[in-house]
Amino acid sequence: MAIRPVYSMETSPERNAADLAAQLSDLSPRLVLFFASSSFEPAALAAAMQKQFSTAKVIGCTTAGELVNDKVLRHSVVAMAFDGEALEDVTIGVVHNLKTENQVPQVFTAFEAHTGQKMMDLDVKQYVGLILIDGLSGAEEKVMEKIGDLTNILFVGGSAADDMKLQTTYVFADGAAYTNAAVLALLKPQTGFEVVKTQSFCSVKKVLKATRVNEAERIVFEFDGEPASQVYARAVGLPQEQASSKFMDQPFGLMVEGEPYVRGLREFRDEALVFFCNIKEGTELSLLQATDIVKDTQAVVQTQKEKLGRISGLLHFNCCFRALQLEQWGQWEEYGKIFAGIPTAGFSTYGEQYLGHINQTSTMLLFT
Amino acid sequence: MAGQIKKMIDQIIETRSGGDPFLMLMTKTKLMLKGIDPEKYDDNSEDTPWVINDVKRIAQEMGVTL
Repeated sequence: MAIRPVYSMETSPERNAADLAAQLSDLSPRLVLFFASSSFEPAALAAAMQKQFSTAKVIGCTTAGELVNDKVLRHSVVAMAFDGEALEDVTIGVVHNLKTENQVPQVFTAFEAHTGQKMMDLDVKQYVGLILIDGLSGAEEKVMEKIGDLTNILFVGGSAADDMKLQTTYVFADGAAYTNAAVLALLKPQTGFEVVKTQSFCSVKKVLKATRVNEAERIVFEFDGEPASQVYARAVGLPQEQASSKFMDQPFGLMVEGEPYVRGLREFRDEALVFFCNIKEGTELSLLQATDIVKDTQAVVQTQKEKLGRISGLLHFNCCFRALQLEQWGQWEEYGKIFAGIPTAGFSTYGEQYLGHINQTSTMLLFT
Repeated sequence: MAGQIKKMIDQIIETRSGGDPFLMLMTKTKLMLKGIDPEKYDDNSEDTPWVINDVKRIAQEMGVTL
């Protein structure tokens, strides 16, 4: 079975794609996933990648940094190729017009025509989904919710990024670049797989109820009937003007069986709190405290190694805030070592997907 | 009347999971992300009309006939 990650630092889209293809010349890929710096002209890169891998399904997105094996790269393209021994089948679809529509059902109808089975009837042990989505669309929640409504298949992935410029992100499919869109892929691996979600936070047992929100705009105006900014500042023990310094270390979590689904904090807006994901009115959120990213991730990957016996490929969707923290703390090298010996490809994301849209998390898809 | 909300939630979880523990947790998580915490409701929970309507809407979205 062949799952192989490669990368290229070539700066022109055409030369970069050709370099990747040369490195994979002994492989006949069924799927090529690629993660590219936003420094590349997106349409040219998408076309070049499809041209080089003309018989494969080719999907990808722009990033806030690329990950390959134990390396962290900038201004590169990282690709992971899966041949027929790795993937029995793959089908892809593009969800267009994210901000105004929800075209997940149309894509699923096409998937059903391809597999001959209803999405709801697919065996969750045989199939797994990938999602790459415009990270500035603000539409991740509704897409993930619709996916979750229509199937039990796990879709895992990340929100496309643009090297922290916050201007435009792109997803790629079959030779084209799209914004305001998501790419979905339905994979039928030849062997086992595991989906992992990991975050480095613990609950500090302080629970706040969001009592007035603008869900669509990802704003919480009030917790427990009081202005959200005041409540947050009090909870972290700082004056309000200093409390935003705690956003990275002390976000909130929606706790499910003791496991946080992290709701990241973006900014104070007047007396409200703006999040990086939506909060439903009435939701109880637990205040979190950051723990050690390297130590926690090491433990998760080690557990998977022991459980699975071997890992033949790993897709890694790592939040850009985790990446920033690793950079600030000088821990990138140590973090990279966790993946040494595991064929790994991934990117620094503007959000992660696992059942829903989450923040400050790593989602991973591991193949045995 | 009491306990209707729990019955509805249990039915959603059972229908979507078929009793599979992994799918039960998955469905429970999806409900929580939709704003309904299954643990908040038991046989004695009041049949609050707006919550009932919310759960009915969610059931419909998830393809579950209550």
